[in-house]
Amino acid sequence: MVSHAIGLFHDPESALHAAGQLKSAGFAQPEIMSPVPIHGVEEVLGPKKSVIKRFTFFGGIFGALGGFALAAGTAVMYLHPTGGRPIITIPPFLIISYEMTILCGILATVLGFLISARLPVFRERIYVPETAVDKFGVTVPCDSDEQFSDAERILEQAGAEEVRRLGDPS
Amino acid sequence: MSSEQKPMQYSDVNDDIVRSLVVTGRKYYITLAIAVTVMVTCFYFPWFYQLYYGIGAAGMNNPTVWGTYLASFIFWIGLSHSGTLLSCVLHITNSEWRKAMYRSAEAMTLFSLLVAVTMVMVHLGRPWFIHWAAPYPNQMELWPNFRSPLLFDVIAITTYLTGSLIFIYMGSIPDFAAVRDRTSGWRYHLYVLLSLGWRGTDTEWHRLGWAYTFLAVLIIPLAVSVHSIVSWDFAMSIVPGLHQTIFAPYFVVGAIYSGTAGIVTVMFVLRKYMNFEHFITKIHFDNLGKLLLLLSLLWSYINILELFTAWYGGTSTEYEQLRYKLTGYYSPLYWEMILFCAVAPLLLISKKIRTSFVPMLILSIVINIGMYTERFLIIATTLSRQYLPESWRLYTPSMVEISILVGSLAMFITLFLLFVKIFPSVSIYEVKETMPKPQKKNGDRSW
Amino acid sequence: MSFMDRFVSGWRKHRQAATDDDFDYAWTMSIDLDRCTGCGACVTACQAENNIPLVGEKELAGGREMQWIRIERYWEGEYPNAKLSFIPMMCQHCDSAPCETVCPVSATYHNQDGLNTQIYNRCIGTRSCAVYCPYEVRFFNYYDHHWPAPLDQQLNPDVTVREKGVMEKCTFCIQRIRQAKDHAKDEGRRVADGEVQPACVQTCPSEALVFGDRKDPNSNVSKSINDPRAYHVLGELNTRPSVVYLKKVDADVV
Repeated sequence: MVSHAIGLFHDPESALHAAGQLKSAGFAQPEIMSPVPIHGVEEVLGPKKSVIKRFTFFGGIFGALGGFALAAGTAVMYLHPTGGRPIITIPPFLIISYEMTILCGILATVLGFLISARLPVFRERIYVPETAVDKFGVTVPCDSDEQFSDAERILEQAGAEEVRRLGDPS
Repeated sequence: MSSEQKPMQYSDVNDDIVRSLVVTGRKYYITLAIAVTVMVTCFYFPWFYQLYYGIGAAGMNNPTVWGTYLASFIFWIGLSHSGTLLSCVLHITNSEWRKAMYRSAEAMTLFSLLVAVTMVMVHLGRPWFIHWAAPYPNQMELWPNFRSPLLFDVIAITTYLTGSLIFIYMGSIPDFAAVRDRTSGWRYHLYVLLSLGWRGTDTEWHRLGWAYTFLAVLIIPLAVSVHSIVSWDFAMSIVPGLHQTIFAPYFVVGAIYSGTAGIVTVMFVLRKYMNFEHFITKIHFDNLGKLLLLLSLLWSYINILELFTAWYGGTSTEYEQLRYKLTGYYSPLYWEMILFCAVAPLLLISKKIRTSFVPMLILSIVINIGMYTERFLIIATTLSRQYLPESWRLYTPSMVEISILVGSLAMFITLFLLFVKIFPSVSIYEVKETMPKPQKKNGDRSW
Repeated sequence: MSFMDRFVSGWRKHRQAATDDDFDYAWTMSIDLDRCTGCGACVTACQAENNIPLVGEKELAGGREMQWIRIERYWEGEYPNAKLSFIPMMCQHCDSAPCETVCPVSATYHNQDGLNTQIYNRCIGTRSCAVYCPYEVRFFNYYDHHWPAPLDQQLNPDVTVREKGVMEKCTFCIQRIRQAKDHAKDEGRRVADGEVQPACVQTCPSEALVFGDRKDPNSNVSKSINDPRAYHVLGELNTRPSVVYLKKVDADVV
């Protein structure tokens, strides 16, 4: 039976320590759930890389080119000479381009965030509501009872106030 | 302050914020009822009358074809300017004091933008065709005119509205998750949807941190560009008094100025009526007061520049415009604006005033009255005095216009009242970050 | 032609500002202020030709008159030596029109005749064109206007009646220009000088107003705008108007 062990800690340092211990004991990647972002996770659980910056960058580039193309392309499709200006007027179209850079950059960032954080998820997952208030949780998947008791021992040694076993609802 | 006697716990923050959402007193309902009533009677009825009758219901006339509707539009756009912009700047510079106030400041941005967009609808002669200003393929094969400063506005405000909405939402996801666990009924289902299944894992926090920072970096240049573009609606014309290069920075400074004053007002109200004394303290008012002082000096400087260049340039039209502004029909309003926006804020030099709540409230309201006057004058004085003396004509707002102005304020208040019951109006996790971290308890086993 | 060539040639073409040479005609009006008596016949003719509503006394006092052409009057000096000068003012059909660039929905643009046109159906009523126009010759429909009987019987069928919330202005009687052009096209020729006249030109008793194509060097208007008295109102704004005024020669000054 696949289940998870979750240890609840009072302070972030102990939780980080426990996560490090679990990792070095050969468990699969432990996850830390916390009410606030905690610092120093990367030192313990290995560096994290996110693809969000690529999304932002390419979204922005797309917006810049697309914005200019939208303004210039539509101006050429239906000719409306105005104010004695050329059909393709560069300075005003650069303003459109600028705004579209930001719009597409923002939308791409959101998309990048959702993809890289694997959200949204509406099915039940391993979660303890206390971690949204004042507890720092450390979870690892446990394949067997022995693994769970190993995990429980490590968590309690690291100072867990409580260790729970949660069945994986999936 | 009670927090000095008993240090706040993480759980107190959750309790306080959830309480602010679910516990609703009679006062709240009464205020909401009044706000809705005022909104409907003062905004929607006159507006529907105007839709039926024509723009003639307003006081505009031939040379002065723009009036208070557009002044309100600039005012609301300006008021929107501090929220998200200030929040982004303070986020990037890692200012601790931002954390308790930024959610409501961003909400202010969002709602004033919504009201501003409504004011455009009110302003238009044929608002039922407003979609023609949007670029979409259509059977007429006709696209909007991308050379128009007004179309820059359409694009910029759409972007700004989208950006602010996303920014406030992204920052609230962890809070929706925290509130989700404590509520039931329709709220629970709403927060389940809004929190997207957030669990607060280390990966999620990491991604959120990056995405949030990128958004902040994108929104700062956006906010500056939005008000520059609003100023170009005026500055790109060849009307004396409007056709000025200083207008873009003038509008941006004015926008941040009135927006910051607006934040002070909102902070005061939240602190007083939502019992957020723990979160919104003298420090916030002190810092905002310093910012207001700086902005008022900047604003005065730009005003002096505007007068000086007009006087020194000395072309007949500019000079007449200057004379008219300082001594003409609208000059009492001009001097009122100077008193409210340039002289009165000098009181903020005193720390005693910056750290007392009621004087700050009064000053913030006075500043916004002055700033509304500024927007009105920009339109009224210049348009009523253009090149051909034959078409000089005064403009005074009609009752419909005044009523719609009052109604738009009620609309803003209504939106804000609904917001404080749905969004956690103080950021739970960021407030926690400002509190001392939980330390290892005595007697814990050592590692 | 490859895509790149088409792109480059299209780019070059559309980067060029339109000039008189690109127009079929360049309709121009000259107004001789020496001949103008300020009688106001042009105002009335325009009102009748273009279905311009009569707004009534109250609205006129409120500054919402509808006059595509108006006589501006300027008094100089005090009573015994008072001097009156007047100048008919209408849409100047500028080649660099500030009103055209500002319209977000392209409701006003420059057509192939060099006319500044207003498309009523496209207008959403931002009124920005009226703000940008330095001549104050754009008029906004603050209401739906009605013509009491029997005036509704005399509406010109060639001209639309404008709805509330729409901007309108002088068109140089575009309905007459269209007719003349159609007629000329049927006969395979260009519109001859004097063949088309806006209502105000047709009515002017002192022939102060002359209308024609300035691309035709022999037309009356071409001769008239080469007069040394010719000037543009607010010429310093560089809007390149198509209406040319001939200055009044003042006996006292000379």
